[in-house]
Parts: sequence; structure tokens; C-alpha cells
Amino acid sequence: MAKIHGLLDLGRRGMAVSQSALATTSHNIANRSVDGFSRQRVDVMTSPAVGDGNKRVGTGSQLSGITRSNNPWLERQIEREGSNVAFLEGRSGALQRLESTFNEQTVKGLNNSMTDFFNSFRELANNPESLTTRTVVRDNANALVKNFQEMDRQIATVTSELNSVIETGVKDVNAHSKEIANLNEKIQSIEISGATANDERDRRDLLVKKLSEKLDISYAEDSKSGMINITSGKTGILVAGTSSTELKTSTNQSDQTQVLYEMSKGGTQTDITEQFKRGALGGAIEMRDGMVAGLREDLSDLSYNIANEVNKAHVEGFDRYSKQGTNFFDIPADGSFSIDTLKVSDAVNKDVGRIAAASKPNAPGDNTTANVIHSLQFKALMGTEGTYTFDNFYNSKVGEVGIMSQKAQASLESQKNILDQIKNVREGVNSVSLDEEAQKMIEFQKSYEASARVIRMADEMFETVLNLKRL
Amino acid sequence: MRITDKMSNSQALKNIQKNRSELSQLQNQAATGKKLNTPSEDPVAAVKILSGRTDLKNTDQFEKNISAAKIFLDTTEATLAQLGEAIIRTKELALQGSSDTVGESQRAMIGSEVAQISNSILEMANRRMGERFLFGGFKTQSTPFNKDGQYQGDDGEIKIQNQQGSFVAMNLTGDRVFLGHAIGKDDYIRQPELVPDSTDQLQQYKISEADREFQNNQKLADQVETRGPASVGHIQSLGKVDPITGGEGLNIFSLMRSLDVALKTNDKLAIQDALEPLDQVLSQISLVRAEVGGRINQLNVTTDVLQKTNLDNKTAVSQLEDADLFQTMSELSRSDTALKATLETSSKIMTKSLLDFLR
Repeated sequence: MAKIHGLLDLGRRGMAVSQSALATTSHNIANRSVDGFSRQRVDVMTSPAVGDGNKRVGTGSQLSGITRSNNPWLERQIEREGSNVAFLEGRSGALQRLESTFNEQTVKGLNNSMTDFFNSFRELANNPESLTTRTVVRDNANALVKNFQEMDRQIATVTSELNSVIETGVKDVNAHSKEIANLNEKIQSIEISGATANDERDRRDLLVKKLSEKLDISYAEDSKSGMINITSGKTGILVAGTSSTELKTSTNQSDQTQVLYEMSKGGTQTDITEQFKRGALGGAIEMRDGMVAGLREDLSDLSYNIANEVNKAHVEGFDRYSKQGTNFFDIPADGSFSIDTLKVSDAVNKDVGRIAAASKPNAPGDNTTANVIHSLQFKALMGTEGTYTFDNFYNSKVGEVGIMSQKAQASLESQKNILDQIKNVREGVNSVSLDEEAQKMIEFQKSYEASARVIRMADEMFETVLNLKRL
Repeated sequence: MRITDKMSNSQALKNIQKNRSELSQLQNQAATGKKLNTPSEDPVAAVKILSGRTDLKNTDQFEKNISAAKIFLDTTEATLAQLGEAIIRTKELALQGSSDTVGESQRAMIGSEVAQISNSILEMANRRMGERFLFGGFKTQSTPFNKDGQYQGDDGEIKIQNQQGSFVAMNLTGDRVFLGHAIGKDDYIRQPELVPDSTDQLQQYKISEADREFQNNQKLADQVETRGPASVGHIQSLGKVDPITGGEGLNIFSLMRSLDVALKTNDKLAIQDALEPLDQVLSQISLVRAEVGGRINQLNVTTDVLQKTNLDNKTAVSQLEDADLFQTMSELSRSDTALKATLETSSKIMTKSLLDFLR
């Protein structure tokens, strides 16, 4: 037969269980907008029954633990897809910047100033005697150079932005790995007693995902200690148990940011920049060393070829003073060409009479050389085998950037959709529903009240027993 | 499926953002009037638009070239017409002078009119268009003929690009019109029709031009003028070919001078001898006028072609980049309705919770 004070105890334990459940519910509600939080559940189990002869009387319920609702497989999927999204975001962001450099839909750009340049030579051919047409040629040539330099500068800005993406990315990575190492330590010390470190694990899962958004990582959890080890790229060990290693950045000779990994404190540093193929860093590195660098080179090629071809024709000609033409554009003779140093030669800039339109001396009306120079516009002088005209070459670059950007946006879109779907599934499992918590709150509040009634009832039963004598 | 607050919130947000971005794109289209605002929206079209724009600018320039050439050619043509009149008048005078009924003093008077006409022909030969002499070849800045009718210019033809890969000369050189060089069959080597369009060709052109100039000069040096002013009749006796140049062209100035002298010296036979050369000069003038007319015609034809190309190009570019405003507007209102609907449903779903009903 059950004892009355057993009933008292049962009521007390019921109240304690309800109280914990209410605390967990409140915790869920409070954390419902926290990133990476998984809703928690109290696991209640029946207390062991007490033997009473051949019957066993129940002794109520007790708390067996608080667990989080979480699917590790989903977390890994999100980590992987998130890394891809970040990679594509980095790419399409840089491509959009490049695209705006090459976008001539609404503003006048290089295509326009190249056409103007050649047309000014046509105008010169119409009237080689006139100072006005010569001045127009000079002004258009200067505008063309300026346009080349402006485009080059804009592409350089994209490069330096990508460099700073890499730098700040590495800083974030270092902060995250440090925090993960700390969490590893906490989780180990909490879980050694058999409890689960729910909140710490949530936070760590989130950080791993954030890390993966920055660069390629691989990680594994040590099932005994509950700690995870993280490797970045192929070789860099970021987190090993409770310790973390910082990645370093440095700038190489060509002003590009590199990512370095230090094997041991103060030891040799290896360049692991090329190892990153995913995440925001992977995207930035791929764009910087691929498309952006390539386009800058193409632009430099284009400007060099225009300047060089115009020069070659111009030196064959004769100017207004019957002197043999000089170089129209200044190009260093040692082959160290760069867009920054390209300019219209001083001779032409100071005196437009030095522009050579004629093919022989003492022939002010001769426009043969001017005709040759503007004919360059339609000559296939670009590409390895002379497959493109200047216009075609530039236009094909615009097309290339457009196609790349279009593709990057499309794949980003679809990748985002994939991520959103998985995230949706995860939200279905992990995240907090207010309706559900409200319902739980009522449920546990009622059982708290009922347990209290059990104690009062037991109290009344004692009273009854004590009053037996008086009756 | 378990639906949580976060899910419905992020879903609503995503939908609203999608509607808004669609709306902003359409708004952009309506504001700029262009459906293509970045190359990535349609890379192929973007490239086509760029080359279309270059073509447009180039055809505009070609049209400018053509009008510059046409003004020059029109002025040349007007001058040649005037020259023709002058020669016809000269022929009338020569006919009068060759008649038996006129006496010496009358011939002298006719002679002074011929001298006047001769002067005006010199003025025509030295006529300018703006700052440029019409008949000086490449030497447009110095007087082509001195007062003795000697040519100071060269035989350079100023070639103007009238469309891609095609050039038209806009001037006639004075040595052809007034000296009869390179008219019909003679040994003068004229400038090649082909305009050099690359540096290599330019180098070759310079060499061949120097060679050509040398040969022409050689020929001129060989033609020592042995005749005196009164020997004009000899031209006639040999028929249409000039015994010295061997060509069919005639030197207008020396013909005029000979006639003048014949009239003033009362040399009836010499005056009669000048009649046929004058006819020959007339046909020489019609020949070069026909050439000018041919070029003007060619330019007019190209202008028509260019204008058509221009129109086609404009239409093509516009079709690629311009937004259809009706379509944009109807899509705009559709997107607007969609956004309103999303906002309304979101506001209904997102605010509801069990907690609202527990009070």
C-alpha cells in the first residue's frame, strides 16, 4: 500500500518536471529568432515503481534529459550548399561590378570613343588642311586614352575589392575557428557528465556553417569527446580539439592578397591561396586570378594594338610641315607597356600640325595616311591570328562578361533555391512554433496545477489521519 | 509538415522581395524606355547593339564625308560648266575671226576679247572652295597655275571614303582639265584607283608613287616645247593627236594664247586652224564633266544606300533594346497587383497565433 508521504513526494516531483518543461518552453520562445537555434524538448520518463507485495505502485514521473531537435545530416547539407551559394555570390557580385564597367547601354564607353577616334581621322581625311579637324583628332585620341585608363582603373578597383574580401574573410575565419575551439572545450566539459550541451552545439553548428561560407572546409566530430576538427583547403588545419590555428594574409609583388598557413607557431608559411575552390574566398580568388586579371590583360592588349598600329601608319606619313610623322602615341620602346603610361605623344599634343595625314611632303591636301589610319578600324588586327577587328574584340569581351554574369546569376538563383528548400526542411525540424509552445505552456501549466493539488490532497489526507484520535 | 513561424516569415519575405525586384526592374524599363539595361540581360543582343551603334556612327560619318565631297565636286562641276561656256564663246569669236569679211582691226578687237576670256579661264583654274584650290591636286594651299598657265600643282586625287572599303576622288587635277594630261591615250601614269588601307600597302604605295612621279617627270622633260605661239596650225594638220605629248588632250592655255596671237597678227589660216582644236577642248571638258557627274551620281547612290542601312540599323537596335511600353505598363500593373496580394495575405498569416485566442 502506498504511503501518504509517498504521495507528497510524487506531487513535488510532478511539479518539478512541469517547472522544467515550462522553463524549456520559455527558453524556446525566447530563442525563437536566434540564428541556428534548435528547439529543445524535455524528455520525461516514468519513475521506477515501488513494490508492494505482488503489486507495483507507480511513483510518478521524472526528468531524463533535455534534448534538441536536430538532424545532423541536414546541417551538413546546409553547410555544403551554403558554401556553394557563398562562392556563387562572390562570383556574381564581382561579375556584376565588371559588367557595369563594360556596360554601354546607358552611358558612353570605350566602343563609342573608339568609333569617335577613327571617325575623327575620317573627318581629317575630308579636310587635312584644317586645324579644326586636326584638333578634333587630338582631342578624340586623348579621350580614347582616358577611357582606356578609366576602364582599367575600374577593373583594378574590382581587384582590390576582391583582395579586401579575401582579407576580411580570413579575419572572420580566424575569429570563427577560435570560437569553435572554445566551444569544443565547453562541450567536452559539459558532456563528460552525460548531459548534452544543446546551446553550445547549436552555436558551433552555426559557426561551422559560417566558416564554410568563407572557404572550403572538411570536418569530423570525435564521437568520444564531442569535439570537431576542421581542415581548410587541403592542408590547413584550422581547429584541432581545443586549439585553433590562424590563417595569415600577405600581399605579393603584384599587389595580390595571398592566404598563408603557418605549420607551427613561427614556423614556415605555405601559400594555400590556390587550394580554395568554394565559399566566398574561393569565389573571390577565382574571379581575381581568372576573369578579372584576364580582362585587364585583354584591355591592355587592345590599347597596345591600337596605339601600335596607329603609330606604324603614322610614322610613314608626312605632317603639315612636310616632316616625316613621329609616333602618334607614346609607347615605351622596351616593351614595358601599361595602360597607365599610354598617352598621345607630346609632339602631337603640343602641335596638331604634327599629325601626319599625307603620304608625301609638300602635299597639304594629301589624305592618304589619314585614310590608312581610319581603315585600321575594319582590319582584323586582334587575336592570335588576326581574327578580330578592334571593335569586334572589345564587343566580344562585353558579350563574354555579359554571358558570364548571366550564367552566374542563374546558377546563384538555382543554388539559392536548393539552399532555401533544405533550410525549409531544417526549419520544419528545428525551429520554434509559437502555437506549439503556447499549447505546451498550457499543458505544463495545467499539470503543474494538478501536481500542486496532489500535494494539497496528501496534506488533507494527513489531516484526516491525525484527526482519527479525536473522533 | 510542421510549419514554424520562421518558415512562414521567411517565405513571406522571399515572396515580397521577389515581387519588389520584379517591380523595380519593370519600373526601370518604363523609366529608361529600354528593356536591356545590362549586357547580362541578353548578352547576344548587347553585342549586336554595340556593333549596330558603331555602324550607325560610321554611316553618319560616311554621310558627312559624302556631303564634303559633293560640295567640292559640285563646285568643280559649276566651274567646268563655266569653262565650257567660255570655250563656246571663244569658238564663236574664232568663227567670226576666221571669216573673210572681218578686217584686221576687228580681228584685233576679237583678239582682245579672247585675251579677256583667257584671263577668266586662268581665274577658273585657280578657283577655290573655302581655303582649298579646286585644281591643285594635293597642293591645295598654293595657286595651281601661274599667269603663264604653267601648272604648279600635282596630280594627287583626294580620296574620300563613301562607305566601308570604298573611296571616291573628290577633285579633278588641273593638269588633266587644263593641260590635257592623261586624257585618252597618252603615256601619263595616273594615280592608282586603289587607296592603301594598311601600313604595308602604304609603304608600297609610297614607293610606287615616287616611281610614278619620276617617270611622269621624265616624260615631261622629254617634251620640250619647240613650237612658237604661231604654230598652232600644226596641231591641226596632224589630226587629233598632239605631236608632243602623243595624247588626245590639249593645253587650253596655249591654245588660247595661239588664237590670241593669230587674231592679233591677223593670221586667218591660223585662226581657222584653231577651230577644230577648240571643238576638241570642248569634248575634253565634257569628258571630265562626265567624270565629275559620274562621281556625284555614285555618291548619290551611296547616300541612298547609307540612309537605308541607317534606318535598318536603327530599327534593329531599337528592337533589341527598346522596351515595348504597352507591355511594360501591363506587366507593371500585374506585378503591382501581385505585390499587393502578397502583402495582404502575409499580413493576415503572420499576425495570427494561438496566443491571440488564449486571452
